[in-house]
Amino acid sequence: MLELLTSLLSSVLDAAPPLVFAAVGATLSERAGVVNVGVEGMMRAGAFTAAVAALVMPTPAGVLAGMAAGAAVGLVHAWLCVRWRSDQVVSGMALNLVMLALGTFLLEAVFDSPNSTPPITQLPKWLGHSPLTWLACMLPVVVHLAVMRTAWGLRLRAVGEKPQAVAVMGVRVSRLRLGAVVLSGALAGLGGAALSTATLDRFEHHMPSGLGFMAVAAMVFGRWTPLGAAGAATFFAFGNALRIGLASSAPELLTVVPQGVLLALPYALTLVVLAVSGKKSAAPAALGTPYDPELR
Amino acid sequence: MREGLKRLLPSALAVATSLVACFVAVSLTRGFGTALDAFAGMVWGAFGDWPRYLETGNVGAVLRPLGEAGTKAALLTFTGLSVAVAFRVGLFNIGAQGQMMVGAIVAAVAGAQVELPAALHVALCLLLAAAGGALYALGPALLKLHRGVHEVISTIMLNWVAVSLVENWLVVGPLRASASGDNSISGTDQVLPSAELPRLLGETSRLNAGFLFALLAAVGTWLFLSRFRRGYEWRAIGLNPEAARAGGIDVGRCLVQAMLTAGAFAGLAGAVLVLGTELKYPATLGAPYGFDGIAMALIGGGHPLGVLASALFFGGLRAGGTRMQLFGVHKSFPELIQGLALLLVAARLVWDRLLARLFKRKSGEEAARA
Repeated sequence: MLELLTSLLSSVLDAAPPLVFAAVGATLSERAGVVNVGVEGMMRAGAFTAAVAALVMPTPAGVLAGMAAGAAVGLVHAWLCVRWRSDQVVSGMALNLVMLALGTFLLEAVFDSPNSTPPITQLPKWLGHSPLTWLACMLPVVVHLAVMRTAWGLRLRAVGEKPQAVAVMGVRVSRLRLGAVVLSGALAGLGGAALSTATLDRFEHHMPSGLGFMAVAAMVFGRWTPLGAAGAATFFAFGNALRIGLASSAPELLTVVPQGVLLALPYALTLVVLAVSGKKSAAPAALGTPYDPELR
Repeated sequence: MREGLKRLLPSALAVATSLVACFVAVSLTRGFGTALDAFAGMVWGAFGDWPRYLETGNVGAVLRPLGEAGTKAALLTFTGLSVAVAFRVGLFNIGAQGQMMVGAIVAAVAGAQVELPAALHVALCLLLAAAGGALYALGPALLKLHRGVHEVISTIMLNWVAVSLVENWLVVGPLRASASGDNSISGTDQVLPSAELPRLLGETSRLNAGFLFALLAAVGTWLFLSRFRRGYEWRAIGLNPEAARAGGIDVGRCLVQAMLTAGAFAGLAGAVLVLGTELKYPATLGAPYGFDGIAMALIGGGHPLGVLASALFFGGLRAGGTRMQLFGVHKSFPELIQGLALLLVAARLVWDRLLARLFKRKSGEEAARA
């Protein structure tokens, strides 16, 4: 039993970081009032760039490159949504579609392979896990404190609730939102980079195969707070590890509760939480509404 | 009419810009000559290989690509209409993908398990699939109305619930086809011949009656929205729900009806895919036509006929995509063109600004000349 628990814990520590980074990142953007359903695309950009960069430079530098790629996609999203007041959901979904196709195109064009990039040296292991695992343990706390306890965080949250009021205080709404979305992209990119440099040792064509949307679910489940989102992400990763563990150790249990039902649980649970909390939902009040300085 | 054309301009420009950008991308990676060949291949594969036809007189060289384009366009039209109809009342249906999967599995089961004469069987399968998709879209509508849950979040969640339950459970579990002999089969049982959608071009192409249904659906939706009272009410809600409510329109009821319609269209997309080309629910549904519906709806300007036009265009490109494979370009390349076009359409205000500046300069020049 104890053995099972430690092995479970170990696989959660390996599987959670991509989800944790992406979910915390999504929280930043949405707290500033910009819907981010483009997490999937940002993660894909990060995963691809990190794996490609790590072919020619040390892997840690590749991870940074992946972050930069995620931030770049975030910048496009921010520019469209903040500068041009585009529909935030459309922009996010469009970025997902573009990144999905672009990744496949580049894989074929650069590596002549529809499946994956050549292998790279994985990130080194510290205490049996990748450094990103330990970063994922600390980062949510840091971001939570920054959002909940600093002047910047207060402004960020206010911009997501009532941008007009913040503008009256002399704060530049667009700059704050732009920064939040770019940071969100960088964290999603880091999540993607974790997939291709720590979880695996290459970029595979299906990455991140829906993890970006699961990160959005975790953010909602965690009630739009960084710690909540990270907690939900870890919980989802734990559920996944449990499912995979059960499939190998107790397959007869899975004939009673099929895998597909377990796979659907994170999303179904998020729906239930939303349905129960209803109008008291923690979603920022100005979420999805472009800021128009002429409106007061 | 001129107004209508003006509204079309940003979409057309977005698609054109995207085509150019993607051409440059292929030129940079594969060389200019190969890019030309690849794009030519895509166009012949999309809208008929006319040079080959003129050379050999083989009609199939034209009909086969056109048929494939129509097959893809039918699916894109249905999911595009699904998103566009919800848009009309101001709802964003990201869930077309999930609703389509529900429709597809319902059609696959009804097509394989029920025995009926041909016409009746097809009708029953389509009806059940539409109902399945509609029911799956009902949840988000009710959650929105009664609990204030944003439909974008709830439909995203339901997409993944559908993937998990259908493809990771039903299709590999209770509904998996029984293996015959040594060859293991993936997906569900084959649908009976009586449930297959009739082919329009015989053996030449997979083009089936689903294409006609898609045409009918697009025209019907257009007529409904522009000529019927309920359609007028939907549009009024989309423009301003508060004003519509004040004008005596039952907004809640209209939202539910629009969402049910959206789900039904997505369900029909699934049914057409299963009964027309796959003939069973395969191991995975493949291309995410539900998400493509978002692109179709927006590039088509939210207008049913615009959706049809963009579905015909991109259906064609995607049929032609397979020919790009010969030149070292992945067959999903048209999806990149489509995604980029959607992104550029999202930047509508940029176009408006650009066009306004352009027109202003033009009218300024005319004024100066006069």
